[in-house]
Amino acid sequence: MNQFENACPHPDRSEELLKGELTDPKLREFETHLEDCERCQQNLEQAAAGLDVWSEASQFLGEDAYRNSLQNSSGDLRPIASAQAKQVLQSLRPTDDPAMLGRLGSYEVSGVVGSGGMGVVLKAVDASLDRTVAIKVLAPHLASSGAARQRFEREAKAAAAVLHPNVIAIHGVSNDSELPFLVMPYLRGYSLQRRIDQEGALPTTDILRIGTQIASGLAAAHEQGLVHRDIKPANVMLEDGVERVAITDFGLARAVDDASMTKTGIIAGTPQYMSPEQARGETVDHRSDLFSLGSVLYALCTGRPPFRAESTFGMLRKITDVTPRPIREINPEMPVWLCGLINRLHEKSPEDRFDSATEVAELFAGSLAHWQNPTLVPLPDKVKAIQMKIEKQPRSSLRSRILVATLATLLSLSMGSFLLAWLAPPVPQPRSHRTQNPLYFDQIIRFESTSAPDAFWSNELGNKMQDANQHADRLWQEVNNNN
Amino acid sequence: MAEYPDTRQSLLLQVKDPQNREAWEQFSSIYRPVIYRTAIGRGLQDSDAHDLAQQVLLAVASAIGRYEPSSDSSKFRHWLSRVTRNAILNALTRRRDDRATGGSSAQIRLNDVPHPDQVTEELIGLEHRRELYLVAADQVRDEVLSSTWQAFEMTVVQSVSIEQAAERLGKTVGAIYSCRSRVIFRLREKVKQLEKS
Repeated sequence: MNQFENACPHPDRSEELLKGELTDPKLREFETHLEDCERCQQNLEQAAAGLDVWSEASQFLGEDAYRNSLQNSSGDLRPIASAQAKQVLQSLRPTDDPAMLGRLGSYEVSGVVGSGGMGVVLKAVDASLDRTVAIKVLAPHLASSGAARQRFEREAKAAAAVLHPNVIAIHGVSNDSELPFLVMPYLRGYSLQRRIDQEGALPTTDILRIGTQIASGLAAAHEQGLVHRDIKPANVMLEDGVERVAITDFGLARAVDDASMTKTGIIAGTPQYMSPEQARGETVDHRSDLFSLGSVLYALCTGRPPFRAESTFGMLRKITDVTPRPIREINPEMPVWLCGLINRLHEKSPEDRFDSATEVAELFAGSLAHWQNPTLVPLPDKVKAIQMKIEKQPRSSLRSRILVATLATLLSLSMGSFLLAWLAPPVPQPRSHRTQNPLYFDQIIRFESTSAPDAFWSNELGNKMQDANQHADRLWQEVNNNN
Repeated sequence: MAEYPDTRQSLLLQVKDPQNREAWEQFSSIYRPVIYRTAIGRGLQDSDAHDLAQQVLLAVASAIGRYEPSSDSSKFRHWLSRVTRNAILNALTRRRDDRATGGSSAQIRLNDVPHPDQVTEELIGLEHRRELYLVAADQVRDEVLSSTWQAFEMTVVQSVSIEQAAERLGKTVGAIYSCRSRVIFRLREKVKQLEKS
């Protein structure tokens, strides 16, 4: 290390970077500088953590024998699942077709698609109509419970009455054979869970599109008085090739509950996407599905489910008592209003959520239209109101102080400097945004999230600000596209 | 993940005072892996190590009734960790002595003075420290974008060079420095918090 290196003229931004206080352009600028300034690289790493921490992290965070051991034992579940599939296959009647595994009702079974907690999914051919179908067979251990069988049939019939492009169709239900089953179209595609596993957080457009479609599907079912009770990414299918979402397993959660609750008193499956009223074991209505939808959307925004805990007990407690970490802290790219919509769905008390899935579907559809064409289509009024409400909440981070400063400067341009006196204390003199660099756009765009004292301006000015805001939106998008 | 839910719940029932339950749950979730790894480190097989963790925690959980509650919850945790460490030492040293007898003598007695065993004691300390990092890492991983985490994991844990990581993640070298520094900064804070609790 020589004298020359020590004399790096660049201001040391380590502290701000580590605390997440740098605006995007400043961050990028500093990262560009870090590219080849060894001195600043070292400064940053020393500010982040002592050498002992760096070495402990690299020593401790590799393979963990304990977690490996648990993972291997969860692999033991597979033989159970395949034993279940085997049991189902053995119950099939013989077939004349050598290419088939057996016959179930009038269906020729050609293979096993999957096996899970609730049952086994078979791929089969409906000979009379010559189409491929998926058959969901209730798991043998559940089929032995009379209550579960009855519920399965009742709920499946109710679900069959829901005709909607976003709800998987049910062609038929059978409760006569040894194992009850229902017949659905065979979809080529994968579940939303798999998409999250592979990609993490999704782009805003996709989230809005998927949200609209799930809400529409729910609305159709709720109209029939049917509550899903188990909305989660694994129960939402994305069809290959078409941009369509289909909700599966409608109403079936209750059939499983009936069987498994009575036997063990333990909740079946993961409670991660449950609503607080479900977690408390209270009766649920359609608004429970809205909460779960909120959790699904949260997972789409962040790549993680909102509530995570080591144990079932801890998970249930979190769902009933804890507000999840704000989405924008994990993924700052998500629009404020989208987070606001999700927060509304995530209200602990059903009365505080939206009234219906229909309303949610409309708001999401409207927001999607706005997102795809911000200059022509305004946000739906209700969504705008949600956004305004969030923006009024005071914040104290450095970022929002900068925002207020920027805002005040802009205000002063149009309203004269006397107003500045009103806003006086938190107004540092405007700095870099006078120069021509991307920072300018960034600070304008961040209007969106400022704690703007909106009582200060008239409606007319408010409209102007909004126009300016939208203009900034477009510029920012262009800047992003160019990058 | 197969989490042995029955064993966890049965342990929880041992703790009568609901105020201590949460502390206990947090405590046992940290110590179960510590006991397991310590046992593996002392040459036990996988399933024996799981058994040992369960036995030790069961013994400690049932001893909680003997704890005189005080307003300071950190004292409860302190007491727990002392009792648990003694139990681990007892179990691991006793196992070798008692192999032939088995039966009820294999039960863990907490009041026994632990056999002095420097190696095991150091191992427990090390494994405890490792667990704090692992738990902290789980939390930090949730809080950052996955590409940010990967930048850290590749370069710090998997010893991929910074240049290679930048290429694989489609980031600049400067961004890798920035990502991994932010992650370790948070990690350090979390570990510090966990140490205190």
